[in-house]
Amino acid sequence: MSAEERGGRGAAVTLRGVSKRFDSGLQALGAVDLALRPGEFVSIVGPSGCGKSTLLRVMAGLVAPSTGRCERPAGIETAFVFQEAALLPWRTVERNAQLLMELEGHEPESYRPRAAEALKLVGLAGFEKSYPHQLSGGMRMRLSLARALALRPGLLLLDEPLAAVDELTRDVLQEELSSLWRQAGFTGVLVTHNVHEAVYLSNRVVVMSPRPGRILDVIDVPFAFPRAPELRASADFAALAGQVTAVLRARHHAEAVA
Amino acid sequence: MTRSVSASSSPAVAFARNAAPVVVVALLAIGFWWLLSATVYQGKGYLLPSPQEVAAATAENAAVLAGATLSTLKEALLGYALAIVIGIAGAAVLAQSRLLERSLYPYAVLLQTVPVVAIAPLIVLWFGYNELSVVIVSFIMSLFPIVNNTMLGLRSTSRNLSELFALHRANALVSFWKLRLPGALPHIFAGLRISAGLSVIGAIVGEFIIGSGNAEGGLGVQIVFAQGRMYTALLFAEVIAATLLGFLFFLVVSAIGRLLLRHWHESALGS
Repeated sequence: MSAEERGGRGAAVTLRGVSKRFDSGLQALGAVDLALRPGEFVSIVGPSGCGKSTLLRVMAGLVAPSTGRCERPAGIETAFVFQEAALLPWRTVERNAQLLMELEGHEPESYRPRAAEALKLVGLAGFEKSYPHQLSGGMRMRLSLARALALRPGLLLLDEPLAAVDELTRDVLQEELSSLWRQAGFTGVLVTHNVHEAVYLSNRVVVMSPRPGRILDVIDVPFAFPRAPELRASADFAALAGQVTAVLRARHHAEAVA
Repeated sequence: MTRSVSASSSPAVAFARNAAPVVVVALLAIGFWWLLSATVYQGKGYLLPSPQEVAAATAENAAVLAGATLSTLKEALLGYALAIVIGIAGAAVLAQSRLLERSLYPYAVLLQTVPVVAIAPLIVLWFGYNELSVVIVSFIMSLFPIVNNTMLGLRSTSRNLSELFALHRANALVSFWKLRLPGALPHIFAGLRISAGLSVIGAIVGEFIIGSGNAEGGLGVQIVFAQGRMYTALLFAEVIAATLLGFLFFLVVSAIGRLLLRHWHESALGS
């Protein structure tokens, strides 16, 4: 199935001079300019508390920027995936997968098959009647992804979704996420601490400074998709990951000296 | 997972295993009671009647006892039902805004801290020497744990889920029915379990006030009556009936809670 059939091309999102100061006086974000191309996958890396999650929430429309604006095409669906799977524990797997479409006012005749299809896509077919507590951490995250994908989003925002799963599961889920992204054609934005994860999944890696968060550098990742799992062991991959880490470190070092 | 242990044995065996310790304690307590009544309190049945005397008094007054229990059951059930409806609805309203909570919650606390025994005569004065007064005392007694726990539950919604619902344009009503209320159920049932026994206590207190010397009426009335006649064996039977009534409420509410939560909440998994 082509990207068009699955919900059209990814959305172009443009951030112009976005900053955020919270009511508490905390300046979370400096002025951020960033243009996301339709259908690309971008990761945002940066130290803890650098405002990268706030940036993601601005893109979602959950947080209003103090200055600047976030331009998104009208009528696109935006889905958000949290670090914790954020499931409704009293709903079965299939009812969880239907939730967002239900909230958006879709009819059951249309959302039931779409949820079933999304569950099949993430490998949860056969678990429709299970409850979240019966699933492993990795399966819960798959369900969280299925719930978002069933909406056929033009923009998928991922807030450290793989931080809480074990390393082996994380590698597998990264590969699955990458393949889902190529199939579904959404624009993906991933916030992560994990430099290797960012490089493996992305077209571009955005490196942010400590609070108030600003963009230090945007690094292109030239490897072609689909990316083999073995790519992670290659010298080119290590060099690029090293380059991202160097940008993070340089700033960190400068801060420490100052 | 952890459920395999209980799943491997039949429900009857599981029930026997759960009930056995309770039954053993009950038998020991009755044995000790009998021993005490046959030794220290030998011939002083007006202080501590023997289990046999209580059984005999129960049989002798079966009709009165059953009528009184039924009457108290009705009043307590009405007071409890009223507390559930008003308590949950009130908590839902209070949980909507901090301002409402700040202005009204202290009064809910006052309702709890005012000594019910002291205001019961006032209630009787206002509403008359009738069942309505008893229902109201029972209601006041059961209300606060329900309000308090429901509010706690409604405020415990996960931030991520609230954001998720907001992102997908769920209005306050949809969020309430699909997210906050189901999420609050474990807390609500914790409140309901506390109030189950309180509603019966409230009804008995109410009956104390309205019913002294009245041969008709609920268990509270009969307890005062039996005390007046120094009929301690019957008094015991009535106290036991009142206790079992509260226990029954508790069991029924717990069972309903387990039924609703059995698929997802830690407290009820595997039951």
